[in-house]
Amino acid sequence: MPKLTLKFENAILGEVPVGSKEVSIGRSPDNALVIDNPAVSHYHARVFNEEGRMMLEDFGSMNGTFVNGQRVKMVMLKPGDRVTVGKHTIVVSDSTDLDGFAPVGVGVAKAAAPKINETVMLDTRERREFLQKIAAVGESAQVAPARVKVATLIVRSGKTDRQEYALTDKLTVVGKSALATVKLKGWFAPKAAAQINRREDNSYYIGAADKTPSVNGNPITHPTKLSSGDVIAVAGIEMEFVLRD
Amino acid sequence: MSTTAKPMIASALDFAARSDTGRARENNEDNFQIAAELGLFVLSDGMGGLDAGEIASKLAVETIYAHCRDADSNPSLAFEGEHVDGASETSNRLASAIQFANKLVRAAAAEGAKTEHSDNGSGGSSGTPKSMGATVVALQFFADRVSVAHVGDSRAYRLRSGEFLQLTDDHSLVAQQVREGRMTEAEAEASPLKNVLMRALGVDDTVEIEVDEEIAMEGDAYLLCSDGLTRELSDGQIAAVLTEMTDPQSAADQLIDLANLAGGGDNITAIVVRVGAKSGSTLGKIGRWITRSGN
Repeated sequence: MPKLTLKFENAILGEVPVGSKEVSIGRSPDNALVIDNPAVSHYHARVFNEEGRMMLEDFGSMNGTFVNGQRVKMVMLKPGDRVTVGKHTIVVSDSTDLDGFAPVGVGVAKAAAPKINETVMLDTRERREFLQKIAAVGESAQVAPARVKVATLIVRSGKTDRQEYALTDKLTVVGKSALATVKLKGWFAPKAAAQINRREDNSYYIGAADKTPSVNGNPITHPTKLSSGDVIAVAGIEMEFVLRD
Repeated sequence: MSTTAKPMIASALDFAARSDTGRARENNEDNFQIAAELGLFVLSDGMGGLDAGEIASKLAVETIYAHCRDADSNPSLAFEGEHVDGASETSNRLASAIQFANKLVRAAAAEGAKTEHSDNGSGGSSGTPKSMGATVVALQFFADRVSVAHVGDSRAYRLRSGEFLQLTDDHSLVAQQVREGRMTEAEAEASPLKNVLMRALGVDDTVEIEVDEEIAMEGDAYLLCSDGLTRELSDGQIAAVLTEMTDPQSAADQLIDLANLAGGGDNITAIVVRVGAKSGSTLGKIGRWITRSGN
């Protein structure tokens, strides 16, 4: 599956796979690829799949979208193409193309873009490898080695400190407090809006704290087990709960 | 000052406990221990012939308290058992304490077995019986959350905004069957095997401890109880008491009284903890720690 790698200067900020869903690009947090930069329009462009071809469309953005230096309106993309949105470069690659993409931790990415207010995304490959390592350590100690699935929260809309969160803790808190995992921004955000528990059997339950979250549009009435693909809404943010092997 | 485990800073904990032999048993094999300065509440229900149960549960709660207390002043104290991934240091320390308690209860059982062997079997009831076990359920409050650890079928509950929630899954055979969809709750209730435990302290060299963490909020009420309470009273009845009686001591007393009225078929113990901002906390009055007073 092809993917888009977001870079700023020489730092890799993150990756987004291009599957059947389109990848929207822009400053607004409900885009798939969020670039929080004044030179980027709220809804700047999109990459989508048209009959097997990867297409890029500019939404009539203020500063334009460029492919390999040329300003475009609608164009087909090939692996290796470099798309420029504002000061960010989006490199189109196949998932097998790992050459030259040294994974960079969040710390380095932050150092590369200190002054501009970016939405920084973690490098998905590095995190995936890290989590796999942890899962293996756990497995060797277990009597019955079960395939431990990796649970992630992907923020679809709303202001949070990151776009993706790995749910490795027993308790994940969504809120403004310093101890929260999913940190909410905004003056009126509650310290602890909601919580997600990882139970002994590695099932995940969402529960209310200051606020009552909704799962797939329905407010919960008690701690509710999460399934992959569930969409959680609470305190002005929307997140998708994803379970991967 | 404590380093690893801190009780709630912004709010104070108001608590009370009561333990009773009930109306059917000769002795009380439940024990509990509370360490306010650590935000720690531990309850244990012992089992075994003669007074083995009482010895086991007392050893369990004392060991858990001592380990947590020692770790508080010495954070580099070795951990017993495996690290719990994704859990805080406080939770890991609590699990370590329970694992350590398992070791000691097991050792005490082995010691008892030796004593019995060397006995000439002259018919006296001297010597510690060779099998003893105990359940345990513990809460430890720190920062804005609480660790919940348990082994067995003693329970922790939470009352928050009208919702009464059982925080712990029973480690009993029938509860396991219900969870797997092989039995209904009603069948479990009626089953003659309903007291059979899948996990307990003192049975194996190591024990599997279930550890969870929860956000703790002002206004929350928590209950730790042995099965002697829940065998007599429904969740609804218990929730009603906790809702109406905001004073923890009154609530604990009422729970025990009602359970005895309903039959008192087993030892009954309840620890009630309320989280709330209090001016003039009662912590000072009650004292730093309390244990079950002979009943």
